[in-house]
Amino acid sequence: MKVRLDDELCVGHGRCYALAPDVFDADDQGHCVLRFDDEDLPERFVDVAKQAVANCPEDALAMEG
Amino acid sequence: MIDSAAEVHPEDRAANPYSSVVAAHPQPFYARLRDECPVAAMEGMPEGVHIISRYEDVKFALKHHEIFSSDFVAVDIGQDRPLIPLQIDPPEHAHYRRVMDPHLSAKELAHLEADARRLVNEVVDRFIDRGECDFHAEFSMPLPCLVFLSLTGLPLGELDRFLTWKDNIIRPETFDMDEAAAIRRQTGADMYAFFEDAIDQRAANGTDDIISRFMKTEVDGRLMSRDEMLDLCYLFILGGLDTVTATLDCSIAYLAQHPDHRRELVDDPSLIPNAVEELLRMQTPVMQVLRVVARPHRMHGVEMKPGDHAVVMLGSADTDPGEFGADADLVNLHREANRHLAFGGGPHRCLGSHLARLELRVALEVLHERIPDYRIAAGADLEYSPGIREIKSLPLVFA
Repeated sequence: MKVRLDDELCVGHGRCYALAPDVFDADDQGHCVLRFDDEDLPERFVDVAKQAVANCPEDALAMEG
Repeated sequence: MIDSAAEVHPEDRAANPYSSVVAAHPQPFYARLRDECPVAAMEGMPEGVHIISRYEDVKFALKHHEIFSSDFVAVDIGQDRPLIPLQIDPPEHAHYRRVMDPHLSAKELAHLEADARRLVNEVVDRFIDRGECDFHAEFSMPLPCLVFLSLTGLPLGELDRFLTWKDNIIRPETFDMDEAAAIRRQTGADMYAFFEDAIDQRAANGTDDIISRFMKTEVDGRLMSRDEMLDLCYLFILGGLDTVTATLDCSIAYLAQHPDHRRELVDDPSLIPNAVEELLRMQTPVMQVLRVVARPHRMHGVEMKPGDHAVVMLGSADTDPGEFGADADLVNLHREANRHLAFGGGPHRCLGSHLARLELRVALEVLHERIPDYRIAAGADLEYSPGIREIKSLPLVFA
């Protein structure tokens, strides 16, 4: 499973890296950066990644696969 | 108790969100708005003011700045110029946010946590032995101001001056419009003068506070101008103080009246970050944000014309069962999906949200560690102010 980010939509609420710091990082501006860009997520992070995705107020994140 | 739903008049497609009944208990008001008139006119106002209340519509308005613009000085709050970046639209807006956001990002503010914890403890020290306090006057009011002074490297002794300024701007003590405008103008002038001095001092001998850092910040390949620096300081006071005060008031008033939830936080402080989000959602202390219609737009059969105003009801969006499910009207400290809009959304997402979250989390942690059991004093009548939901007096008794 992968996480997809639409960085046009991210405005830096920061819910993703607060909830799942192993999966998401922040750039200088506080916008989302994927730690597993275009890579499959390690199984142990899948649940927490899903929770973070469900908490993005801008619909900038999605699970894939 | 008078039901706030009575402030919605579907037969006239009108509503009054600015009554104290709504501010005290807005959820029934919001529900009726969403169900019976999702785009309502402002009761008693000329045509052309539209109250938007459903989650999807609120989100649309926040996202689509080309239709719902922030580019206006319609709200005279004593400022000389439009407040950057609050009252400027993209694309210019993005230049400012790109350089301002880093100074207020979660990572950058992490170093402030120890300071914030010390300040919270000092504030609590002043009343804990008394076994009671007016939480609003003694905690919610001073704390955000002390954190602001600490962040900006200004003396903590300026507390009273700042609190007076903030009140003069946000709720001047007069019902006369001209008098209110005069108070705001004078306060604005005092604040500009004060920050001129602060900026001069920092230009002479650099310190490591957020004002100094902004002075070294480039926007579009040039240093920020003096006017821009002043505007920014103005925005900090306006945006950063009352909003956190209201959030603290609403959150603690809720927890004082819901001992089961409070006990959960005392027993398991790791729930506090989630509780902060859930209380922000349920209480949405900043009930609404304003936009001006820039392009003709139709919503639920209502025609919006350029120049019209939109009252974007964040609080109503945040309690919409369409987004949050059947328990949207209940606080659930274990809520899994919480896409609340208490800090707005889209390009104008609250610049200070990470600072606010830090203050709220540390406040709830320290309070529940030191004062695990408290309730509202018998006979107290909580009076919420409309718009930004502060509670005028919040007398607490500790067990």
